[in-house]
Amino acid sequence: MPEVILEVSNLKKSYDNVVAVAGLDFKIKKGQCFGLLGPNGAGKTTTLAMLEGIEIPSEGEIRYKGNFLPRNYQELIGIQFQATALQDFLTPFDNLKLFSNFYDHPSPMGELILKFRLDDFLHRDTRRLSGGQRQRLLLALALVHNPEIVFLDEPTTGLDPRSRRDLWDIVKELKAEGRTLILTTHYMEEAEILCDELLILSVGRTLLEGTPDQLVKNANVDNLDALFLSLTGEDLVKTQEVIT
Amino acid sequence: MSRVARSLKRTMAIFHARNLEYLRDRASFGWNLVFPVLIVFALALVFSGPQKSIFTVTVTTHANQLELAQFPGIDIQIAEREKALERLSRQQTDLVIEASEKEINYWINQNSAAGAILEKLLRSTETRTLSRGQTDGAAIRYIDWVIPGILGMNVMYSALWGVGYVVVRYRQSGYLRRLKATPLTKFEFLIAQVISRLLVTVVASCIVFAGTHLLLDYKMVGSPGLLLLIALLGGLSMITVGLAIACRTESKEFADGLLNSITFPMLLLSGVWFSLDGSPAWVQGVAQILPLTHILQAARAVMLDNAGLLDISLNLAVLVGFSVVGMLLSTRLFKW
Repeated sequence: MPEVILEVSNLKKSYDNVVAVAGLDFKIKKGQCFGLLGPNGAGKTTTLAMLEGIEIPSEGEIRYKGNFLPRNYQELIGIQFQATALQDFLTPFDNLKLFSNFYDHPSPMGELILKFRLDDFLHRDTRRLSGGQRQRLLLALALVHNPEIVFLDEPTTGLDPRSRRDLWDIVKELKAEGRTLILTTHYMEEAEILCDELLILSVGRTLLEGTPDQLVKNANVDNLDALFLSLTGEDLVKTQEVIT
Repeated sequence: MSRVARSLKRTMAIFHARNLEYLRDRASFGWNLVFPVLIVFALALVFSGPQKSIFTVTVTTHANQLELAQFPGIDIQIAEREKALERLSRQQTDLVIEASEKEINYWINQNSAAGAILEKLLRSTETRTLSRGQTDGAAIRYIDWVIPGILGMNVMYSALWGVGYVVVRYRQSGYLRRLKATPLTKFEFLIAQVISRLLVTVVASCIVFAGTHLLLDYKMVGSPGLLLLIALLGGLSMITVGLAIACRTESKEFADGLLNSITFPMLLLSGVWFSLDGSPAWVQGVAQILPLTHILQAARAVMLDNAGLLDISLNLAVLVGFSVVGMLLSTRLFKW
């Protein structure tokens, strides 16, 4: 039985009077790719931000290997944000160097350049990179300190099919290395291919949780896409009643 | 590696990255150097001719007690004796008068022709007992007087916008959020911004100063080292004020408004373009709470009067105060 690396209990987050996350409980096992799915406004990004230690929960707690989040938590995790701006006029090389210097034990830059295939555009202004090149760089920056847990917030949004598949290959490699991946995506095919376990959210609450196969089977639909459409369509409440 | 060494490594990394960004942004880099030089040359061109022949008399008491005040073309100003004599020695005023009911003490600059004319006029119109004093000193041209103003203004713009606006841009683009997810601390980030901008501001000021001084013969009688110290402390105070403005602001438009609301009063009230000596006391009082006023007072004292460290120590202390308060506020209130 794989070790539980992150455990979330009664996690809530409100902004003024708006409830973004209304009480979540789930566990993420070491080495698995855990997918957070849900329509826009479901609370995925807020949940991710709390798991990343960037947002402080209004209530509830997050435990790392059974303990409170350690002081050096930021060194244990790597984050690829949904929309990260980088400093203007810097190249991928400058950015790798900059982020490497934030950590005590950075990965060798040569390895990162090879692994994420950055050599073709290593000295190009980051504002002139294609979507796929930019995502590969952002992923390299997230991995610059060889983290145990990697957060990927919609990593393939806006990419062409070729770039998306390239990125999937990299994610699979990371998984094969034994890293724990936490992924949000709008592409059900991506979730089905990459994720071992899924948590589907709606208005800040857990709607469904399980492996992709289990969820599809229990809902008696053809694939995850069909399940997601039924969950986020007009019959959301009805579907929820049927499933539960 | 010790904690301090790790912190220093992170600070230097972000400092280096900010320098690269600035140096590669050629348009912005060039503008920072070209703009003040253009202003200096434009002013040198406009004010290179002889000064307008208006007589200026500075009185330490009320002007209505003077017969001279009835003559057209004589500008009467009021100032304290010490200030008035300082202006007389620079030929910024032609005659200084301290009048009572029965007698008049007056001072002229022995190098000033206008002073000699006014003395004759005074003696022919006044019946009170006259007592004469004199100073000497060459005339200060407008260009000599305004150069420290332009250098100070350049420090102000470079520091306030170079940090305030840039930090808000980083926040709005999400870059600060990305940095928050690293071990980089708020203080390390802020101090790197301060050092990077200070370096840029001081180096740019030195280049502008040296370049314009080679081509235009303006007055610089004091210590260049002291002038450098003023640029350092002046830049630091402005940068920390810029950081305090940017520490929570999320919109570039709002940051623009805030920065303008600070720079406009300083441009008007700190004596960049004209002296505030003749202005109401409350205006002069407000000017004293603006950092640019202290930068310009100290720079003019060094460049025009050969002031020493002790002479400008109060101005420097105010600039240090602004820097400390600005840095404390920024670190305390900063939001990624």
